[in-house]
Formats: sequence, C-alpha cells, structure tokens
Amino acid sequence: MTDLFTTITTNDALRAEIQAISQRGRNARLIRSRIVITLCVIALAIAVIPLAALSWEIIVKGLPVIKASFFTQLPLTPNLVNPNMTGGVSNAIVGSLVLVLYSSILSVPVGVLTGIYTAENENRTASLIRLMAQTMAGAPSILMGLFAFALICQQLGFGYSALAGSFALAVLMVPVIVVATEIAVRNVPQTLREAGLALGAKPHKVSMKIVLPTALSGIVTGCILAISRAVGEAAPVLFTIGGATLLNWKPTDPVSALPISIYIDAKSQWPSLRAMVFGIALVLLFVVFIASFTARFLVGRQQRKS
Amino acid sequence: MTDDLTTKTTTTASSSGVKVAMQLKDVAVSFNGRTAVRDATFDVAANRVTSMIGPSGSGKTTLLRALNRLHDLTPGAKVTGKILLEGVDIYGPDLTVTELRTRVGMVFQRPNPFPTMSIYENAVSGLRFNGIKKKSLLDEAAEESLRAAALWESVENRLNVAASNLSGGEQQRLCIARALALKPEVLLMDEPTSALDPIATLRIEELMSTLKQQVTIIIVTHNMQQASRISDDCAFLLMGEDRAGELIEFNTTEKIFNSPIDSRTLDYTLGRFG
Repeated sequence: MTDLFTTITTNDALRAEIQAISQRGRNARLIRSRIVITLCVIALAIAVIPLAALSWEIIVKGLPVIKASFFTQLPLTPNLVNPNMTGGVSNAIVGSLVLVLYSSILSVPVGVLTGIYTAENENRTASLIRLMAQTMAGAPSILMGLFAFALICQQLGFGYSALAGSFALAVLMVPVIVVATEIAVRNVPQTLREAGLALGAKPHKVSMKIVLPTALSGIVTGCILAISRAVGEAAPVLFTIGGATLLNWKPTDPVSALPISIYIDAKSQWPSLRAMVFGIALVLLFVVFIASFTARFLVGRQQRKS
Repeated sequence: MTDDLTTKTTTTASSSGVKVAMQLKDVAVSFNGRTAVRDATFDVAANRVTSMIGPSGSGKTTLLRALNRLHDLTPGAKVTGKILLEGVDIYGPDLTVTELRTRVGMVFQRPNPFPTMSIYENAVSGLRFNGIKKKSLLDEAAEESLRAAALWESVENRLNVAASNLSGGEQQRLCIARALALKPEVLLMDEPTSALDPIATLRIEELMSTLKQQVTIIIVTHNMQQASRISDDCAFLLMGEDRAGELIEFNTTEKIFNSPIDSRTLDYTLGRFG
C-alpha cells in the first residue's frame, strides 16, 4: 500500500517536472519561431520594396507620356524649335508584335512536339534533348542574338531583318516551351492513358485525343511565358532587327522592338525622348503582366480540373 | 479432375455445362523476372459475376490487367500460360490487342472520365477511337450505354457538360457506360467502388446485377462482403512464401464463403487475417 502510494507521488513529481521542462521547451520554440518569422518578413520586404518602387516609378512617369499619338505615330526627332516633338512608338509596337508572331510560328511547333517526344519517350535521345533544353534555357540571351546575326544576317544574307530577330527569339523560346510541354504532358494521369488504351484506342490516338487535350492548358501556359519573356528581351534583337523607324512587317524587313526603343531613347540627348522611355516601359510591363496573369489563370484552371 | 481438386482445389465451370466467356490456364505474370502472380487456372462463366478476392499483394489486379493485355505497356512485364476469350488465345495472332480491348472492357479503381470531354463525348469515346463517326450511331450508343449504366435520367439534359461536373459515383457510372458503349463481352472491374461512398457503392452493385445479363463481369475487390453480395463465382488469391500471389481456390461464391476446401480460404473469409 505504502509502496503504491510512493509510486504515485513520485509519478506526480515526475509529471510536474516533465511539464515544467516541456513548458520551457515550448517557450523557447515560440521565441525561435518569432525570430524566424521576423527574418522572413524582412527578407520579403527586401525583395518586394525595389519591385514596388520600380513599378511605381514607371507608372507615375510613364502615364503622362502615354497619349493616342504614342501608339499611332512614328518616332520623330526633336529639334531646338520643337524640343518636345517626340512622335510615338508605333514602329516598335508593330515590330514587337511582328517579332512575337514570327518567333512563335518558328518556336511553338518545334517546342511543343519536342516536349511531347521527351515526355512520352524514355531513351537516350530524349534525355539528351532534355539536357540540351535545360542548358539552353540558362544560356545568356545575347548568344542567341550573336548566333542569329552570324547565321541569318550574314551567312544567309538576310541582313538586319524581322526574320533574324524572330529566329534569335525563337531559339530563346524553344527550351522554355519544351520544358513546359514536357511537364504538362507528364502530369496527365497514367490512368487516363490506360482508360484510352482499354477502350481499344491505338497509342497515337491516345496521345492526340486524350493526352494532348488534357495537357493543353499547361502547354499554352508555357508558350505564353515564353512569349512574355521574348517580348521583353533586348539582347537577341539588338543587332539582328536593325531598329527601323518605319512600320515594317515583312520577315525580310528591318523592324524595331519595344526594348530597343527604350535603349535608343534612354541614350538620347533630348529630355523629351528620355521621358518617353517610361511610357514604353509601362506598355512593356503591362503586356508582360497580362501574359503572366493569363498564364496563371490557365494553370489554376488546369489544377482545378484535375 | 478429382486429382486436380485435391492438389489445387480448383473447379472449372465448363464441366457443369455453363457457357464459358474466358479461360485461364496456368496464367502467371512477372515483372523483370519477379513473379507477381501465378497458378491462375479457372474458367469465367458467361453472364455471371466472377470476383477475385484476397489480401493486398495477392496479385488480383495484376491478374485482371493480364486479361485485356494492359501489361503490354509495362516494360519488363511478361505473361505466361494461356488466356482464352471464347476459345481464342488473347496473346495469339488471331486477335489484335485493339480488338481484344473492345471485346473486354475495363473499369478502373478511381473514376477516370476524360476531363476535356463532355458526358456525351466520354460515353462515345471508345467508338470514336475505333473509327465510328456516324452521328446517329453515336447518339444511339450514347443513350443506350448511359441507360445501361443507370445514368441516362440524371444526365439526359446536360450531355454537353464536362464530365468533371459529375459526382464520383456518377463519374464511375459514366466510365461503365463508356466501356459498355463498345458492347464488350466481358467487363473487367478493378475495385470499382473503392473510391466511392456507401450509397454510390450500392448503386454500382445493383447495376452489376442487372448488367450481367448482357456482359460477363470480372471484379477485383478488397471487400469480402461485396464479393459475397454480388458475385456468383469467386477466386481467392493469396501471397505465397516468395511474395508472389497465387490462386488458392476457385469455386462458386456460395462454396467459397460457406464450405471452402482450403483452410486458408476459410481463415480469410472469416476475417482471421488480411
């Protein structure tokens, strides 16, 4: 009886001790947790503040520049009589559209088909292509420009042209599209493929009628991200498109692009032209924002579906 | 036959004069040389429900997937023995794999309607894959198969809605309709109710008892009560010493559950393990 009693009291003492220690442990964890959260908030601020400041600067300085003539007129050079005669950037807007169009025509079919191949095949060729795509995705974009300049402008004799710029951008876009397509195709549940085969469908029908439609929003998302990257790139088009101040659209014509207009205007001696830079930057920012937003929307829709 | 009974305790339905839909003769499946299931010998009687029961790892699903050659996809998978569909070797030259799969349909563990297709398109997808384009034929097949799957009344007015809008149980019935549209002789069901709630499960079970008038059903189930409720014949599989599944006993469900020959069958059906 006494033994049992002692045991119980010791156990009570033990329990109290355990509770005291674990309470100290909880307090220590709480403090650590608060420190870490504070560090996270600081890091977040460091990351977000420059971004917000940049966006704010561009919006505040860009909005006053944007008028109807900004979109409709060709660029003009101010002079001492008309120091504010800047014209518009219609050449760069059309140029960027043309570049996006041609580079998409060049890169989307190649990228998507390659991505489907690497997703559906597990062999040496597929892993080699995958490795190349990943390496190319990280390559400096000016190399694409150099490559296009050497090949299209010089070797093939097209000179400065929309084609050369589109080619450079397409080389930049292909790896992005390959990787995105591969992920989207791989994410199609195996059970859907099996369901198709179990209905007597041949493998190519399963790919075309089941896998591809199911992966489509992921593939489109990848293409949009590739396009939004290409539209903001200056390096690949810097010495391939020629920077025409005319409304050109043919593949063999020299064209301009929004990032090139920023580059040219920012170097100008005229304050009115330097002010234009923020307007162009705002247009560019807006285009990229819309593209990312659409891409996110499509991804979200795909995730809700599956 | 008696010799067979004492050693392997299997019976064949053919001996009792019932029409046979599929025959399994010493079927074994291995992956990269490792046997997953073996010794499967039994006849699947036409227009009856045959269940395959047994604990996890006993090779039920593996065996089922051999019956429509779904293992063809898996590198390293090998099926030995003979599987006959109405007397024709399904791995032989007289039957193409696509024809086999139109004659032996399958319903999977989780409802897997094609997410980009409407209810209607799902129902007729098998016909479209096999080159049928005639609208009137597709319409007729859609209605007939959806009726057969007890889904027509609830989807009649929203055939063009995405299949993902249906509930889990409805999706599974759509998958049954999709398989039925090809008018298969045999329907393989791989734990078709394991992802469904009890009410949806009950509806699928009720459906199976009417469906067997037009199609032979082979169902894999984890659920012994389900096997005893719905199946006419029953195959009991168990994992052997070397972790390969093997057929322990095949008989009518009534015999398997009430007077099994093998003591391991009795232990399992009484819930002593598994």
